[in-house]
Amino acid sequence: MMRPVEHLHLEHVLQTVGALEAVVLRSFGPHGGQVLFTRDTGQAMLSRSGTRILTALRLEHPLARMVVECVWRHNAKTGDGSKTFILLLASLLRMIHTAASKDPHVSLTHNSKEAAKAATARLLADKLLAFALDELDDLISVGVVPYGCVLSWKDFTAKTQSPVQKLLSSFFYTRLGQSNCDFISNLLCEMLTHWKFQHDPPSGSLQFINDNFPALHTPVLGFPISCSRLIEGQVIHRDFATPLTEPDGGSVKVVVFTGHLQPKLLNAGEVLELGCEALGEQENRGNGTSILHYSTFAEISLEYVFSNLQSLGVSVLLSAVKQSAAVLSLATQAEICVVECVSEDELSLFTHVMVKPCSLVICGSGEGQTEQYAAAFQEAIRMVLTTWEPLNTRPTTASKMVIHSHKSTSLHTGDTKPTYGFPCQNSVLEPGCVVPAGGTFEFLLNHALLQHISVCDNHESFPAASQLLANALLSVPRQIYSHSPRYFLQAQAMVLGSVQNHVHPFVMLDSGLESVSCKYHLVLAVLQCVTRLFQIDTMLHTHTRLNTQSRRLANISWEDTEDEAEN
Amino acid sequence: MSRVVKKSPSVCTDLPLDNTDICNKLSLLKQLLISCFGPAGRLKQIHNNIGGRVISTSTSSVLLSALSSSQPFINLIRTSVLNHVSRFNDCGLFTAILCLTLLEQAKQSGLRRNVSIIVNKHLLGLCTSYLQGQNCGCKVKLDFCSSQYFITLAFSVISSKPACVLTEPEALHISKLAVQAFLLTVPCNNTGVARLGKTLTVCVEGHPVLDSAVFPGLLVDMPDIFFLNAENLHGRSLCTVLFSASLAGDLCELGDGNIELHGDADTDSQILDQLLELGKQVVQDGVNLFVCQKVIHPVLQQYLRGQSVTVIERLGISLMESLSQLAGAQPVATLHTRIPPKAYGKVKELTIKQFGSKTMLHIHPSGESAICTMILCHRNDTMLSELKVVCQKTEHVLRLTLREPCALMGGGCTETHLAAYIRNKKTHCLGIFCCSQTEYLLGAEGFCRSLESVAAALDHKCGNSLTDLTHAHYWTLPADVVEDHMENSLGVCGCGLVESCPSKKWTYLNTKYPEFSPAPVSKGTHLQVRVLDSFTSKLSGLQVAVETANLALDVQYIIQDTN
Repeated sequence: MMRPVEHLHLEHVLQTVGALEAVVLRSFGPHGGQVLFTRDTGQAMLSRSGTRILTALRLEHPLARMVVECVWRHNAKTGDGSKTFILLLASLLRMIHTAASKDPHVSLTHNSKEAAKAATARLLADKLLAFALDELDDLISVGVVPYGCVLSWKDFTAKTQSPVQKLLSSFFYTRLGQSNCDFISNLLCEMLTHWKFQHDPPSGSLQFINDNFPALHTPVLGFPISCSRLIEGQVIHRDFATPLTEPDGGSVKVVVFTGHLQPKLLNAGEVLELGCEALGEQENRGNGTSILHYSTFAEISLEYVFSNLQSLGVSVLLSAVKQSAAVLSLATQAEICVVECVSEDELSLFTHVMVKPCSLVICGSGEGQTEQYAAAFQEAIRMVLTTWEPLNTRPTTASKMVIHSHKSTSLHTGDTKPTYGFPCQNSVLEPGCVVPAGGTFEFLLNHALLQHISVCDNHESFPAASQLLANALLSVPRQIYSHSPRYFLQAQAMVLGSVQNHVHPFVMLDSGLESVSCKYHLVLAVLQCVTRLFQIDTMLHTHTRLNTQSRRLANISWEDTEDEAEN
Repeated sequence: MSRVVKKSPSVCTDLPLDNTDICNKLSLLKQLLISCFGPAGRLKQIHNNIGGRVISTSTSSVLLSALSSSQPFINLIRTSVLNHVSRFNDCGLFTAILCLTLLEQAKQSGLRRNVSIIVNKHLLGLCTSYLQGQNCGCKVKLDFCSSQYFITLAFSVISSKPACVLTEPEALHISKLAVQAFLLTVPCNNTGVARLGKTLTVCVEGHPVLDSAVFPGLLVDMPDIFFLNAENLHGRSLCTVLFSASLAGDLCELGDGNIELHGDADTDSQILDQLLELGKQVVQDGVNLFVCQKVIHPVLQQYLRGQSVTVIERLGISLMESLSQLAGAQPVATLHTRIPPKAYGKVKELTIKQFGSKTMLHIHPSGESAICTMILCHRNDTMLSELKVVCQKTEHVLRLTLREPCALMGGGCTETHLAAYIRNKKTHCLGIFCCSQTEYLLGAEGFCRSLESVAAALDHKCGNSLTDLTHAHYWTLPADVVEDHMENSLGVCGCGLVESCPSKKWTYLNTKYPEFSPAPVSKGTHLQVRVLDSFTSKLSGLQVAVETANLALDVQYIIQDTN
């Protein structure tokens, strides 16, 4: 049976997204804080990550869930920008709403004012997306990229305050707060430095760390965060099952077993028949009539295994399963140390890494904390991956729309500061491009959009759409400087001033770095979400059992979300 | 059929530190923990609503695990402290009280929480580098040539747990035993990797505390003393074999399938024959002590006893490990293959020890084994269980000194000393933050007051808390003393290292006093330090307290899943 049909009005969408925005704002920007949440199991979690917070709410409203899923998908790809996502989305929706209510295309085809409004909004949203798909990469490469700089992989090795570390530090600021962001970004930098030489190209090593992160980190509770560190080698998260024998020095030979060493003679359902032969032969061991024949066989075969291992010089045995007492006893006698129940992740890392690994020890006073740090590490790696991801853009058409000519932008303008990276080549969205954090991207793109409108006024472009996007973008820095609107104007004036004077913003804003590529993906993802929202006009509430979709939504909050994202 | 239940939306709380209910709970928790703090702390009785055992305690680990709250914010702080305690076994109340006071001070100061967080973090850095540095005035280097400091350290831990109900001589006796046990578990041969041994604890109820003792080797319960072979007792070393597999004659290692028997096949007797065969081999190899982790078939037991072998069965996994270390034997789990000679171990002798109703077999190590057994006696069950926990904690605290051979002055002196150090140092670090000077000074004052109020929490007699203006140690003045006769009634400071004298100047805690650099106590003093705190766990406790307070300050929003 169907419940009443609910027509979706623009106001509903606005309300829903506004509610999400209100929650996310608490952990947004430099003055945002942590959100503490408890699972239904009573376990506590801490987070500043927008995605985690939104999924923790366990929302019921289908629209809200759709938005959360969009955020979640964006975060799974880039690891960054989920709070800004909601902010930008809400701001865009508000502007579209205002525009649509001001000027609905009253026509006869729409029988109500609401329908007309919805149609206008849909039209605007489609235009916005079309505009962005068409022009955004060009606008960014002309209007944003020249004021940023490109980080090279070499920067990882720089010891103090390398730009990569700055980029990570600003990321961790938004995830973990100010007090530990430098320390943690140093750790991750060191880790990346350690791993990067072993894989070529660098994205390979990043992907490798991301995939193997569960096996590459060890959470330790009850210690202060400052005790976190890198250690050489891989940590197997199990204790020895046999006494530890002292290594003679030199290399240690390790063997890995995934199954039981002691053969199981009788599987379930099998029957062993005893006593069919002549009675007199029972005494004779080695004959098939005695039960001992079988258990002796099992032990003797085990002895062979261990004498072989011993002759191979093996001194450590890693096993995926629990072994029998006989195995442990024979291993002790053969002076082989056994580690049982090693997880599959760890074994596969162990068997596949031929080089010297290095792993991360994350200390924290509680489980909520170490989990938060581990999640932040993984998201940071995804963010770095997105930053250096080569963008799949068509050949740039920037030349056709010269906004103003650049002096060659040089980082060496302020002679007091040693600089890093090299200025971007004009008009190419290069991998590794970053701009100063704190709203610079939004100010620059806003400026570029406004320029674009004035230049292409008579062009068959989308002036309304770009105007709308330009305005919506400013809501992000406005929120960053929400505690003092004066700073907002100062920051905007600073960025615009540097654009007009062709001064590099780096010189003035020393506030950390943000990835241009992540921002680009973010704007596109938000616009896609907007169009998706406006494509829906009606909600049907039906009475069925929980379908797979909603079950998945309920699960994603706590399961390892990354894996599902790939599917 | 399972029903599909709709998930209910989460419950949200905004700005927990501005929430009156949460603040009341926090201050209640603080009052409760403060009243338990120190040697003069008051006990708490814990009993649950379903008629479980009543526990009297003042130990943070027991208290905090019992005080589970429905409010996740309180649990955040609680679990942080519990995790610290489970790692270091000491300074739990210190950590909890400091953390809660820091929160209170941050709220009172009215500073923006970001500012409080930065200032706290910075001052924590000052404290840790001072404590770890060479010039730290509140640290004592531990000397392994003398047991004096170790006994003081153990005594401080034991006497801070009033639920043990020990008199001073009793506490001293237990402290000495704890140090003795600790020293026995440190191996002396310094070749290769050193492995610490193990202290096993046996509790005997109804005997005076002073009967408690420590023995090298293992003491095993021996109910059937009659089976003991007299010639194995006393004065000769015994060849030992250990079995980790069951010797009861079961067939569990074969698998899950079924066995069908035809004709006269008798698996039981086949297996028993095999077990006896094993017994014969063992006797041939000259074994005198036969130990099995699990059950031994009675027939095999009887056979072995007949061959004057001492048999111990059902030893359990924990004793098994210690025994194999003590005897140098490798546990055997194969029944059909020949036992290799090196699997056999050796023990020096077996003797019988009697403790009240308990008869125990004492297995003496043949060489140095780092395994020892502590017999703990106390008048009743509750005090005994508290004493057992305290002894284990003490052992851990003593072990921590192996990594960092230092201790901090106890009795509140470290806290006041640190506060004075920060007060003096803070002015040197102005202008390094993104906050104003006033804000910084306000935050620093809150931090110092928090440290001092932890020291003041040691006093439960409504006396006055003071600090001196030379060493910044902690002093208490009984409430009824007139201020003119202060130096006569003060005696010594909290840790016992500074004596009152007419030239000394004091100030009440939590009052303004001129900043000064607290001086270390001169080496020439004739006084002995009376209270020492574990360096490692106090340092970590300090860090955890500040980090947890910062984390709590940073929480803006709480989402509770109510499903």
